Amino acid sequence: VQPPEKPLQAEEWNKLREDFQLPGIFEEVMLNSMIRCNSPIDVAKSLLTHLAKRNGDIAYNVLVKYLTLCVHQGQVSEIRDMYDIMKGRFKILESGAYNLLIKGLSNSDQWRMALTLLEEVKKIMIPSRTCYESCIKAASCHQEMKLAFELYNEMLDKGVVPTLDVLQSFFYFSRGMKGAELQKELFGILLYLRENQIYPHKTFMRSIKLWFESIPGGNWKGRLTKIKDSGQCPVCNHQLEDSNLTEEEYSNLSERIIRDVIHGTDTFRKTSPKEFEAFQAFVESRLPFDIVIDGLNVSHIKSRKMQCENLFDAINCLAKENARLLVLGRKHMLTNSSNWKREIMKEMQNKADFFFAENISEDDAFLLYATLRSGKHCKFVTRDFLRDHKACLSDSLTRHLFRKWQRGHQIYKNKKMFSSVLSQQPAFRYDCVVQTTGDTWHIPYKDVFEEKYSYQVPRNWLCIQQK
Amino acid sequence: MQSANTLLRKIVRSSVPPFAAQHGMKKDLFPLRTLSLSLCLKQDKSCEPSEKLDLDEWKKVMKSGLQEEVSETVSEPKELSSLAAARETLEMWRLAGRAVPEKMSEDQIKTFMECPSKSAKKKYLKFLHLKELYKKNDKRKAEEKRERKLEAQDQASKTDEPKRSPFVCLWSSTMDKAYNWRAAQSMIFGQPLVFDMSYEKEMSVREVTNTVRQLVLSESCNRRSVDPFHIHFCNFKHDSLYEREFIKHYREAWDKLLITVTDQCYTEIFPKDKLIYLTADSPKVMKTFDHDKIYIVGSMVDKSIKTGVSLARAKRLGLETAALPLEKYLLWNTGAKNLTLDQMMHILLTLKDTADWKKALEFVPKRKYCGFVNKPVKELKKTLDLINMLKLGKGREKVEKQFAKNYPKKYKLK
Repeated sequence: VQPPEKPLQAEEWNKLREDFQLPGIFEEVMLNSMIRCNSPIDVAKSLLTHLAKRNGDIAYNVLVKYLTLCVHQGQVSEIRDMYDIMKGRFKILESGAYNLLIKGLSNSDQWRMALTLLEEVKKIMIPSRTCYESCIKAASCHQEMKLAFELYNEMLDKGVVPTLDVLQSFFYFSRGMKGAELQKELFGILLYLRENQIYPHKTFMRSIKLWFESIPGGNWKGRLTKIKDSGQCPVCNHQLEDSNLTEEEYSNLSERIIRDVIHGTDTFRKTSPKEFEAFQAFVESRLPFDIVIDGLNVSHIKSRKMQCENLFDAINCLAKENARLLVLGRKHMLTNSSNWKREIMKEMQNKADFFFAENISEDDAFLLYATLRSGKHCKFVTRDFLRDHKACLSDSLTRHLFRKWQRGHQIYKNKKMFSSVLSQQPAFRYDCVVQTTGDTWHIPYKDVFEEKYSYQVPRNWLCIQQK
Repeated sequence: MQSANTLLRKIVRSSVPPFAAQHGMKKDLFPLRTLSLSLCLKQDKSCEPSEKLDLDEWKKVMKSGLQEEVSETVSEPKELSSLAAARETLEMWRLAGRAVPEKMSEDQIKTFMECPSKSAKKKYLKFLHLKELYKKNDKRKAEEKRERKLEAQDQASKTDEPKRSPFVCLWSSTMDKAYNWRAAQSMIFGQPLVFDMSYEKEMSVREVTNTVRQLVLSESCNRRSVDPFHIHFCNFKHDSLYEREFIKHYREAWDKLLITVTDQCYTEIFPKDKLIYLTADSPKVMKTFDHDKIYIVGSMVDKSIKTGVSLARAKRLGLETAALPLEKYLLWNTGAKNLTLDQMMHILLTLKDTADWKKALEFVPKRKYCGFVNKPVKELKKTLDLINMLKLGKGREKVEKQFAKNYPKKYKLK
């Protein structure tokens, strides 16, 4: 339906309504299309007047639709009126209406009323993140940074995840403001990004840069750069944090992988206790390995070649520097077949250690175990992203650890050379998170708002230095 | 105050079609609290409608109701109990047009409040809402049916002719007796079929309910068959959720069912070398139905993805496993290869009677496959490719990927 351009009389509305196929939902459809076309609110008002006269009341969902229209057009006095009407009509409102009211009021000079509304919402439910977002933006826009941070912390306490927009608004509006307290809070946000491995996008990064540079007497200078493979920042020559896990993290991760990935709810799902024990004994007797290879995965790299030749190439390529190799496979590889020639298998077994799992066992779990057990220097070769194994880990912290370890230790054969699956470059030696040394900050950022895959890490960095 | 009222009266007078307002027409379209405007309308109907359009008069209408209601709300206690608050919120959601049931019991509200996340709450409400809709529809249909029946009776009584039929009317109770006789025989001479009831811990409450419903269906179709299985429920714990659900379904009949229910494991009852665990994850594919073997079906509905749970069970006990030869006979399209328990039952019964795979696999839902395999798979692949490319405009790669997923080589690369 096309909404009319001018307010209509009751009779005209009636006629329109009768012409519509489903008169029961005429008002809703009409208001929806008004919202879509951003019609003047006078037209909507005339419809409501018509409705009120005909039924003596206006349904809640129609009111909410009208409110949406008002909020879109920033009609503050109208929003206030709506609040009075709805409050009088209904004991409590639902989250959609509150979101709209708060959003509408926070963009106006009556933004403090949005705060009182937020208090009201808190009494009946946990406010949505858009509610908090509007209030925080309004507060920081009016330079009430303390209030904004109070709301922000409250939001985190309640487990509501802030949007990047909110975080950015803190930096944007704090520009040029002084105060040790404020600085501390903003550094806190940067650490929040670090802990949750969030990468800001380009505009967000710019707000951070400008804020740093605007700190009175701070003498900060920000530059955009790319980090060398060695992990050195070309601007300040500072060496970035190592990608290796700490001892504690490392042992924690190995423990969790054995518990959650290999055993899980039932050891029989991925292997059997007997087989796992045999594997453990096998690994312990030959430790440590330098590279662990997923034999079956590597053998499928080139589909034209015989599978055992693929594997043979990979082993030859990796065995050069006297490295100790472990190849994991399944028992069916041992039976002479068109894809697995016995002579080549024999030859390979001279160059590397082999472990053959049962045909219905999962060899990936063994791959992880052997690599972790060999120590921090050990790498593993597979094209698999290991997402299903990551998903077995029960909490997000351990998953982050897993990703970090994977970034540093997984390699795969890419035409000529071995490189990291995740970043399409040699396994990372430095850790890709927001980091600081006190007088420098290094912040990785994404080029566009959402362009990268979750397993990739950004290559662009913001280097901030205090002179 | 006074002026506002007179103003309101003027407005109301001016434009409401008196007929509609008086008789409350169209009110049922909006099941809301409505204002009693008709009262003031009655007082002076004689006024002429004015041409002037006041855009804000609806506000006055909306606000005017308040004064009546204010007194009502004041007396109520300000702090609501959490239960009542939840009820209020739900009511508002319903008004806002979300999928919320009209009526909810205390227990349902409690379950609702215990949902761990917003999306869980939404899902639960939608479930209840749909359930309510179905129930309403059923009720309506039942009523219509009854009316039709009454009409038919009326007409029949008019003609009133004594009916004569050369056949004895077989009542359902007679049929039941016949079925029970067969089932009793199967308990002595029939081939055993085991349902493994040890999956309660792997399932949510909803999944257990669904499992029991599927088992009830399987039991009934077994009872009605020509040569029923002797059904065993093994690993059945007393006072488990399974049992409680079964009693809900069967009531008193639960104790009279002609099946064997035991807390023992199948390995304790039958010789190990005769057992075959049926699971979709099995690397072995079933070729023929063996009348001397005892097949085990896991009583589990798996809505989340838990691959290999039943295979792990069989591995632990060192049992033989088998999967239905779905890829061999059907050109698989979409959907998981695990079938519901009643579908399994139908398939097994048909196999037992006819040993005809094509007939048996008719019970696989039609949406899951495109047809039966009658040519070599490679040729079919080409046709399927073509069809998909023409029909759906799908990219070739995507189709190939789908196909590779359905028809893996013997040992798929992980």
